Amino acid sequence: MTAIDPITVEVVGSSLNSVVEEMGEALVRASYSTNIKERRDCSTALFDKRGFTICQAEHIPMHLGSFIEFIPYIIESCGTDEIRPGDVFMGNDAYAGGATHLPDIVLAEPIFFERELVAWAINTAHHADFADRGHSHIFQEGIRIPPVRLYREGVLQEDLREVFLLNCQVPRERLSDINAQLAANRLGARRLNDLFAKYGREQMLAAWRALQDYSERKMRAGIAAIPDGVYRFSDTFDSNQYPASLEFDVAIGVEGDSMVLDFNAPAQVSAGLNMVYTSLLSACYYSVKSAVDPTILPNSGLARPLRIAAPKGSILNCVHPAAVDGRIAACQRVADLVHGALSQAIPDKVAAAGNGCCTGAIFNGVRSNGELWVYLETIGGGGGARPTGDGMSGIQVHLTNTSNLPVEAMEREYPLTLLRYELVDGSAGPGEFRGGMGIRRMYRVEEACRFVVEGSRLRSRPWGLAGGRHGAGSRFDLGDGPGAFSGTRDLEPGQIVAIETPGGGGYGPPADRSRAMARADLLDGRICKDEAHHIYGLEDGR
Amino acid sequence: MGWRVGVDSGGTFTDVSLYHEESGRFEDWKIPSTPEDPSRGIAMGIAESLAMVGASADDLTYFGHGTTVATNSLIELRGAKTGLITTEGFRDLLEIGRQMRPSLYDMMADKPPVLVPRRLREEVPERIRFDGTIEIPLDMRRLREAARRLAEEGVAATAICFLYGYLEPRHEAAAKETVQDVAGGFVSASYEVAPEFREFERLSATVVNAFLGPVMKLYIERLSERLRELGMRAVPHMTQSNGGVIGFETAARLPIRTILSGPSTGVVAAQEIARRAGLKDVITFDMGGTSSDVALLENLECKRSKEPVVHGYPIKTPMLDIHTVGAGGGSIATVDSGGLLKVGPRSAGAVPGPACYGQGGNEATVTDANVVLQTLNPSQLLGGRMKLRRDLASDAVARLSRELNLGLQETAQGIVSVATANMAKALRVVSVERGYDPREHALIAFGGGGPLHAARLARELDISTIIVPPAPGSLCALGLLLTDLKADFTASRIVPLNSGSLPSIELMLEGLDDQASDWFERESIGEERRVIVRTSDLRYAGQNYELQVPFPSGPLDANAISLLERNFEAAHLRRFGFESPGDPVELVTIRLEAVGTVSKADLFKANSVKCSDAPSPAGSRVVWMPEFSGRGRCPVFDRSDLRFGHVLEGPAIVEQMDTTTLVLPGMRAAVDKFLNLILDTGR
Repeated sequence: MTAIDPITVEVVGSSLNSVVEEMGEALVRASYSTNIKERRDCSTALFDKRGFTICQAEHIPMHLGSFIEFIPYIIESCGTDEIRPGDVFMGNDAYAGGATHLPDIVLAEPIFFERELVAWAINTAHHADFADRGHSHIFQEGIRIPPVRLYREGVLQEDLREVFLLNCQVPRERLSDINAQLAANRLGARRLNDLFAKYGREQMLAAWRALQDYSERKMRAGIAAIPDGVYRFSDTFDSNQYPASLEFDVAIGVEGDSMVLDFNAPAQVSAGLNMVYTSLLSACYYSVKSAVDPTILPNSGLARPLRIAAPKGSILNCVHPAAVDGRIAACQRVADLVHGALSQAIPDKVAAAGNGCCTGAIFNGVRSNGELWVYLETIGGGGGARPTGDGMSGIQVHLTNTSNLPVEAMEREYPLTLLRYELVDGSAGPGEFRGGMGIRRMYRVEEACRFVVEGSRLRSRPWGLAGGRHGAGSRFDLGDGPGAFSGTRDLEPGQIVAIETPGGGGYGPPADRSRAMARADLLDGRICKDEAHHIYGLEDGR
Repeated sequence: MGWRVGVDSGGTFTDVSLYHEESGRFEDWKIPSTPEDPSRGIAMGIAESLAMVGASADDLTYFGHGTTVATNSLIELRGAKTGLITTEGFRDLLEIGRQMRPSLYDMMADKPPVLVPRRLREEVPERIRFDGTIEIPLDMRRLREAARRLAEEGVAATAICFLYGYLEPRHEAAAKETVQDVAGGFVSASYEVAPEFREFERLSATVVNAFLGPVMKLYIERLSERLRELGMRAVPHMTQSNGGVIGFETAARLPIRTILSGPSTGVVAAQEIARRAGLKDVITFDMGGTSSDVALLENLECKRSKEPVVHGYPIKTPMLDIHTVGAGGGSIATVDSGGLLKVGPRSAGAVPGPACYGQGGNEATVTDANVVLQTLNPSQLLGGRMKLRRDLASDAVARLSRELNLGLQETAQGIVSVATANMAKALRVVSVERGYDPREHALIAFGGGGPLHAARLARELDISTIIVPPAPGSLCALGLLLTDLKADFTASRIVPLNSGSLPSIELMLEGLDDQASDWFERESIGEERRVIVRTSDLRYAGQNYELQVPFPSGPLDANAISLLERNFEAAHLRRFGFESPGDPVELVTIRLEAVGTVSKADLFKANSVKCSDAPSPAGSRVVWMPEFSGRGRCPVFDRSDLRFGHVLEGPAIVEQMDTTTLVLPGMRAAVDKFLNLILDTGR
């Protein structure tokens, strides 16, 4: 192995980071569908030739799960010798290639330097398609594609493309988005080749081995700072997609500089809520890194000190043919579990529970020219209160960080009008530092369409920490009064639907909140007089 | 004919530059700033510099002014108590923003503070639809009530932003009038500040503008008063973020336009230097104490930033695409928990400053590393006015070298390499990430630290030419004498790019031309000085990000449309690596830049006599460089000894009052007729 100095490692690390961020920018800007171009529901990364992460862009932590098994699957199924320059692999299946749900379509391109396979450019984008499907098992959820060649030595495999497009509801968008994904990988391959030419093969390979080792060292240093012990936590997972509430629990064992995360959860369910193992991995990597040391580089090295287990066939580690479309809901609860458990060991480093959802609203219908349209968005909510201050209001938490779509873009593209977009008064969990507030989004549909909402925290609540109280839960309203409903509903022109997302939990006892902050919240209408009086002890708002 | 004056008022120093139009005489003056009332320092600086050249305020024919008053008010949140009036149901949009959290993994990171507290965000029933039609007329009774409540709360400024206000401004205009009547104070409406689609960014810009309005108004009133007292009759101008100047009246109305005026003035000066040197494609590199600013000029033009954000606030206002990175001379080096060396973004600032300043700083900075390597003069700066302590620099670097298990010099060089990598990343943002190859550009290095690090940066990016202007430390003050008047106008309306849209496009153009004519009149710019540049933002129908393409100057007809389409596809191919011929293209925005050219100070006197002799070094010192595999002796030249025609072979060091230029082994530096140092990096 080539010895390499820490300076070159840092310099090469900066360059690799530029490459994945540049790939991401190219993907967002060249794409067509709102979910990618405005909401940025996509991620880019570089992997080494064996399929270990070298560098992932700071987009959506959930997406790492889609990448982890992808390259190993290709190597296993084709053999390294059969991979040629100009090949592009495409896949989305949860059980063949480990993508976490079908709409996240992954494209991977091998990178060759002097005719030798050295790395992979890989990206995934959430295609807003496969809408209005069943979720009893994965066969209902959309077309399943194992990692196969979309391009073979630079030649488009038109047969595959035709099969794929025929299975999509909005084929024109899919085609253009796939083009943007291709372009992003090409760019990554070109840039990485430039770096190889500059530093030489040996230095590059040594540099990224060192970067992976570096992440491992930082992860170990962070874990070593946590007192040894076993920390347990349990939480309830509920969803409007499933009638029963499900109890999840975790035991986190910390010993020296390594950590074991042992989950327990009910058997997989007949709903699109199950997580394949790669989903569990990405949820744990995110949760541990954010609590232990947010500055650790997101590459495969950070996984080395972690052992992650959940019973096979459970909702957290499902097996074929469980449906997985809404797996992020359960992943968000995994993040809550891990932070809840770690809060007992390192209370200064974690926040109370955030909204704990990735509330989705999906509309689909038929345009006057006969084409189908699908509009998908996910709505943020309250962030958990922190030991340093109030939680942030109206943000995406944990495994997702997608943007909203500007009203002025949405209304032009889809037959929807947004009537209200605001924070929900009284939704923040009280505390010395209160949680962030949830969001209310109220739509009027202008044409008949189908609608589904996917949400959680309907029966359970985002918990507080250190004496802080819980935040408010989700509420959905289709004009017949608020209540939970599941499945797809038909909406009439002019019908109004409203979605309220949960607020974050509070941190510390509400009685310890500063008078000034409580008064400001009352003046700002974030809390009502009653709450000001009964929970914060303000008399007549003073 | 008389004197032209430029005054750059910063946090620490106020720089005055004077230029006499007849004789070509040029003078610099530097005095400490007076932060409690900057106008005092400015007036003092002008008076002192005029006394120095024996002129009076009456002799001033031009006054160009750059100030950090808007930037600092925003960073330090010292703006006015501001209210907001917006569409019913949307008062929290200002707080929600794009619903993304500021840091993906750091749960403790916060969004920037919201500039209008929730209790001062008023909602009024009204609704405009996406096609500009009015669904719900503005409720005047509720509007007046809202304005009255804001007045009772004592707001000094009010922002008005309704959905689709850029498309149909009548509701905002009516609201503005009412608020002015009822509440008074500074009123800012979105259709005037940033008439473009995407409601959050437009709202944010309008609020920032309102927040800064009263501060800027007071500043301008005080300064105007001082200038009147001095007896100055020249019309004062202020620099703005787009690299142009505006009159005080416009600056008072649109203070948001002055937020990034400092770095843009440096780019303007660099642009002139490149023009004289006969270069077209350059990257500017301005390295100061806490950060470095980089910008790319293609054919001598710097593009506008697509989504300008300042301190976390989207400002949607024309701003040169200048990228800033926290890597400067004062950036602090640390070893993190994984054992890697990191440099910045934390900075030692001016106080305590780098360890070698001997003011109590004990953390190693980039400047300390250079002192240890002796690429910087290890005993003094500013021509001897400031003493340096090499021993303290060595102590600071030695602490890191023990942690890294590297030698002292290797560690110092490591700090420089990591800082260089950070700066290279910034250069890649403005070049490769925008589809440009840095190797096809020359690097113009200025600011206190630019010339010292340019050679290594050029090596990192394979850049073949570096230009170091004669006075790299005071380029911004120079830029003030070179800046044209500029105003930007936009018309935003999404239409398909085909002949059928010609009438709407014509209407947009007419509206823009009218606004430009009004502005030219207001600024008293004569016909012969007027220049108009039009660009358009285009995209494939279905995309949401636009590419800026020049608008054809000839008659608006089917040919112009197809030319526009071809230019767009070429731009798309260049930027994204593919095009989709046949896919429909949309026009989203037409932008008009109105320029009132000012006759520029001819500061660039070409020398006609070319020296053929070799320059003689003022001395030499031992410098540590990886190229020497350790120590080596390096000749040191005094910049003021260098004449047109002189050539230096690297390794060489060139020192001047506030800058040091490093010429690496294998590089050659030639002095051109404008006394620029031109480095050939051997690539």
